[in-house]
Amino acid sequence: MSGVNEAGTTSGDLIIDVRGLGKRFGRVRALDGLDLSVSAGEVHGFLGPNGAGKSTTLRVLLGLARASFGSVTVFGQDPWKDAAKLHRRLAYVPGDVSLWPNLSGGEAIDLISRLRGGTADRAAYARAKDRLTRTFALDPGKKGRTYSKGNRQKVALVAAFATPAELYILDEPSSGLDPLMEAVFGQEIQRVSAAGATVLLSSHILSEVEHLCSRVSIIRAGKTVETGTLAQMRHLTRTGISFAAEGLGQEQLGRIPGAHELTVSGGRVSFTTDTDEVSAVLPMLAALKVQGLTVQPPSLEELFLRHYGDEAEGPKGRRAAEAAAR
Amino acid sequence: MSTLSALLRQRARRDRWQLIIWIAGTGLLALVSASAVAQTYGDYAGRVSILRLAIANPAILMLRGTPRGAGLDAFVFFEIFTFLALLAGLMSTFLAVRHSRAEEESGRAEMVSATPAARLTPTVATLIHGVLANVLLGIVVALAFIVGNLEPYGSFVTGAAVAATGVAFLAVGLLAAQFMRTSRGANGTAAAVVGIAYVLRGLGDALGTAGADGIQMSPAWPSWLSPIGWGQQSAAYTANNAAPMLLNIVLAAVCLLAVFGLQAHRDSGASLLAGTTGRINARSVLSGPLALGWRLQLPSIIGWCLGGAFTGLFAGTLSKLVEQAASANPTVSAVLHDMVQGGGSMDQILISVMFSLIGILAAACAAQTIIRMRQEETAGTAELILASPVSRTRWFRDYLLLGLSAIVLVLLSGAVVSGLSALAVGSDPAGIGDSFTAAAAQLPAALVYLGVLALLFVVLPRLTISLAWSSIGIGVFLGFFGGLIGVPQWARDISPFTHTPVPSSGADYSGAVWMLVVAVAVTACAVVAMRRREFQTT
Repeated sequence: MSGVNEAGTTSGDLIIDVRGLGKRFGRVRALDGLDLSVSAGEVHGFLGPNGAGKSTTLRVLLGLARASFGSVTVFGQDPWKDAAKLHRRLAYVPGDVSLWPNLSGGEAIDLISRLRGGTADRAAYARAKDRLTRTFALDPGKKGRTYSKGNRQKVALVAAFATPAELYILDEPSSGLDPLMEAVFGQEIQRVSAAGATVLLSSHILSEVEHLCSRVSIIRAGKTVETGTLAQMRHLTRTGISFAAEGLGQEQLGRIPGAHELTVSGGRVSFTTDTDEVSAVLPMLAALKVQGLTVQPPSLEELFLRHYGDEAEGPKGRRAAEAAAR
Repeated sequence: MSTLSALLRQRARRDRWQLIIWIAGTGLLALVSASAVAQTYGDYAGRVSILRLAIANPAILMLRGTPRGAGLDAFVFFEIFTFLALLAGLMSTFLAVRHSRAEEESGRAEMVSATPAARLTPTVATLIHGVLANVLLGIVVALAFIVGNLEPYGSFVTGAAVAATGVAFLAVGLLAAQFMRTSRGANGTAAAVVGIAYVLRGLGDALGTAGADGIQMSPAWPSWLSPIGWGQQSAAYTANNAAPMLLNIVLAAVCLLAVFGLQAHRDSGASLLAGTTGRINARSVLSGPLALGWRLQLPSIIGWCLGGAFTGLFAGTLSKLVEQAASANPTVSAVLHDMVQGGGSMDQILISVMFSLIGILAAACAAQTIIRMRQEETAGTAELILASPVSRTRWFRDYLLLGLSAIVLVLLSGAVVSGLSALAVGSDPAGIGDSFTAAAAQLPAALVYLGVLALLFVVLPRLTISLAWSSIGIGVFLGFFGGLIGVPQWARDISPFTHTPVPSSGADYSGAVWMLVVAVAVTACAVVAMRRREFQTT
């Protein structure tokens, strides 16, 4: 529970409010005290490595699964009890989209849109569907069984964006898309966000979330480990820089501005730096004539290793460490 | 040459279990039918009377073939050959498509074609593999008949006719794979050709001319348009004529010429007919879970209805004939009495026996609706529906409604066809009502299945599919054959079919009433429990 809610609550109504959510599958605890709050109009990134419990959380939010403990409200209502009523106001794209093998993509889009009740204005709906199938470069005449993973995802995305919703719940929506389509997807998110909708976007790719989201919650092993605006989480998004250590002394390395966590091991120097300071660091490295330079944005896995490495070992490891300290 | 043998080994290894099941199953059918005929129709006079009945009834001729005398061996050939040929045909078309179009569709063929195997060798390998499978099938069928005490030379002629029919359909399958874009399309087309071949010879056999002795028959010309018909004309055990089988081989050769001609000239993955595309916009009826259920289940509901209609055709036309047989043979009437519980006139019992088969079809159709619901859940497509403003219970209730409609449709198609065909063969028009009453009597048992399987879906989703089919199998076994093999009454009472009433004056309908009560109660429990059930993909 920690201080999540003090840091997390901002102005505006809470569209999604999850406190201490737990979900058991038999003896396995898929979620174990998860907190998540998403305010109206926010594009919220929901980050975690694979298996952290992102999809399970989204299923609980949709009322497809029931919370074992903790409290969950969406639009102030219980998603398990009022699922159908809440679904009028939201659109959902599952992580792994399956389609009906003998229905065409166009038919699936129409069916889902009609179920959501957004097709009353037929002309507007037809225009939106047409625009989206073209921008996503989707052939709606193919049968469901012939689509690739990326194209199945496009069908679900077109269905989600073709009719307006107050809340979009998207489970790793760009995982099957190529970079061009990722950009199209980003534009759609910006469009619905500008129209006042709230978006919850789960992902295991930090850079994607960084690009689209105003606030981020990071979960690990069914618990929220960090939440806040991207500015508050600057320390998490530092760029990693490394190069060959050959011929470079401590004195020269000390001159590099804004270097954090500088280490020398295995013949390579590595450190991290705030993303906006990279341009200041590079001329310095050029002056040092460094070899084998790599610059990479932080991956979520690295981030976990760096910031939550002790917990990643689990309670057993921690106990051993405590024993050693004594 | 080594590429060819490598491809052949790969095919043999991939198909080993599948082909063993096809071939052993077909051989077993041959063996069982040979010994069953010997037991049931052991004496010559009995066979003569059965054949006289058969020749008078086009529906039997359509299903079985044309008889050629009442010798035991010829009788077995008449009874079972068309089924064996049908199985050989389906085995061969599926085999052909599995190793041709399906491979191209999945992209595996591209990998193989990039090796020295090139474009034609894989097809040659499939051809050899399929021919070998059919030769093996022919030998197994021949051996099964020999073990079943039939005359050896004729048995090998039968085996050769089965194999020749299979090879003809192997080539048809390979040709369909050239034409269609998807393996589904190719399988469907090739299997349809097998079905048409079966129906064509059925028509020809039904329209044939009976011999003077009343136990022989020669088919009309449509039978000569069918590869299965050519196999039949070998007339094993009597004429033992191999010449018509040559027509099968000629057909295979013509198809193969076309196959290799097309294969040599087209791109990998391309097809003569473009793949079918779907609609860009859905029809306006496709707007809810019920409409979606209809769309997904319609082909299978039509299939079960056709089964019901075909059984109804028998019910309408057969009852008169079998009634004569039963009055002449007390053991036949005893067997029939044992299969349907209760009394009634022979006529009503006969209609009830036929309609109990339609009742099984209706229950199976209901089971398939519940299975579809489970498949939608495991495939993840139900998630798209349940994430929309459709509640769990509404989604569930719509599937129950679909199941109910399917049951009613299957029973109605049986009743309508039975009534009309009874009129056509000149039965008393007043008896038409019997068909509809008999159909209505089947409703409660099918509804019990629908309700119980729906509850199973809610409570034990993982077991839905396996228990759905096995519960129907067990119900059929206990309900219809339990009496014949001496299963105790309490065990027979487990089967809903045991309690299906036999409509007659003074019939006992309490079983039907109880089953309706059970069906309603179980369904209500299922709907209530569905409110608390989570979405379970595994």
